[in-house]
This record gives sequence, C-alpha cells and structure tokens, in this order.
Amino acid sequence: MPKPLDKLLLNPVRLTIVSTLMGVAECDFNYLKKVTETTQGNLSIQLKKLSEENYIRIRKTFENNYPKTNCSITARGKKCFETFFINLQSYHTKG
Amino acid sequence: MNTTEQIGLINEAINKTKEQLRPLGVNFIFWGLLIIAMSLGHWLFPAFIQMTSYSALLYWTLLPVLAMVYTVYYNIQVRDKTGYETHIGRVLKIIWSVFNISWITIVIAALSSGQNPSPTIIFLLGITVLSSGLIIKSRPVSLGGGLLFLLYIGHHFYPEINPFMLNILGLSFGLLIPGFSLYYHKNDA
Repeated sequence: MPKPLDKLLLNPVRLTIVSTLMGVAECDFNYLKKVTETTQGNLSIQLKKLSEENYIRIRKTFENNYPKTNCSITARGKKCFETFFINLQSYHTKG
Repeated sequence: MNTTEQIGLINEAINKTKEQLRPLGVNFIFWGLLIIAMSLGHWLFPAFIQMTSYSALLYWTLLPVLAMVYTVYYNIQVRDKTGYETHIGRVLKIIWSVFNISWITIVIAALSSGQNPSPTIIFLLGITVLSSGLIIKSRPVSLGGGLLFLLYIGHHFYPEINPFMLNILGLSFGLLIPGFSLYYHKNDA
C-alpha cells in the first residue's frame, strides 16, 4: 500500500522550490520567482512555511543597499524530499 | 495535480539548474592570455622588469592580484545573473580559491629567495586543472591538466628550458585551449 505523501510538498510552488534547491548549493529569490512563476507575496509565504519546518535555510544579505534573499536546502529538507519522491513513485507505479 | 505531473515538475525544476561552463571558459582564457602576455613581457624586456631587486616580485604579484580581484568581481556578476550556484560550481570555486592562495604564496616565497617559481606553479596548475576537468567531466580540460604534469616532468629532464617558454607552453595547453573548448561547449554539465 502506498505511503502517504508529505502534505507540505503537495503544494506545487513549495515542491518546485524544494526540487530546485535539491539541484543547487544556493539560489536567490528572483530565480525562485522565475521558476515557480508565482507572485512575490506568495513566494515569500511559501518560503516562510518551508523555513519554519526547517526544510530550507534562508540567508538575507544586503547588496548595493538592496536586501537579497538566498535559499538553500537543509539536511531535513533533503531527506523529506527523497522520501516524498520515493512515495510518489510508488503511487505512480501503482497508478 | 496528479503524480505524473508532480514527477514532471520535479524533473523540470532540477534540469533547469545546470552548471554554466562558458564563464569557466572565460576565466581560463583570461588567465591564460594574461600569464602568457606577462611571460612574454618579462622575456622580451628583462631589464625593465628586473630594474630593481623588488620590481620582478611586484610585477608577478601585483598584476595577478589585480586580475584576481577582477575575476572575483566577474564571477559574482555571473552568479547574480544566473541566480543560483550549483554544487559543482561551489566545488570549483573552492579549489580555484585554494589554488590562488597557493600560487601567491609560491611566487612570494620563490622570488624572495631568488628561485624560479614556474615549475612549481605548473605542477600546482596541473593538479587544479586536472581536478576541474574530472569534476566537470571535460576531456579537453583533463588533458590540459595532464599536459601540465608532463611539462613539469619534462622540466626535470631538461631544466635548462627557459622559464618563460615553460609558462607560455603550459598556459597555452593547460588553460587557453581548454578554455576555448569550454567557451564553445554546447551542452552544459
């Protein structure tokens, strides 16, 4: 019987964020906005949710007096994503 | 969203982030041309470069340090433009930073004691270029690193070789040619 999927990663925006971060060491807010094709406000909310659950790490810096947000995945985020992907494949095989 | 769409979304997101090899090629070409030009300058105008006891030391440290500042600035611009740093990119950044520190240390130590730093630098460059080539799975870059090793070994059998000639040969085959191959590489790693 397929295992239940992580509810946090069922949201397409959050899943895109975590998938993107799995492939990189770090990436910035603007790049995530481009790949998720969502609004700035929604992206901020989703990043906050992932950060609160310790799936991602958010690093804020200043560049030329402008704030810059960089994100990277945590060890917990990696593990949860891998579990999610394995469970997703079991659904996919059965479906 | 069904499972097929979710798997598709994951694949698409991961595949979008690829290591850009062209900027690495630009770095290789820039450093290859710079050191070849500096070697030619020193070879053709030794009286000018060795005008005082410290002028050669300044020539071989000040110009590369300025070039390093430019390289760091260029790479930050590239990183800001792409919006992400890959794991491979991070590893390359670390090994080339270690190379730069080692290089400056070797130049200062060798020139202060009146020794020729070229063979040691060629060896160090060989290690770094070969490592980079193996990491990004680029045959021309790996071969460039291997050729630098051969030049280093060759220098031991033929120590009379002009150090500037050694630099020009090493940088041409070890950085310049691999740099052009990366620059014109179509598929990114």
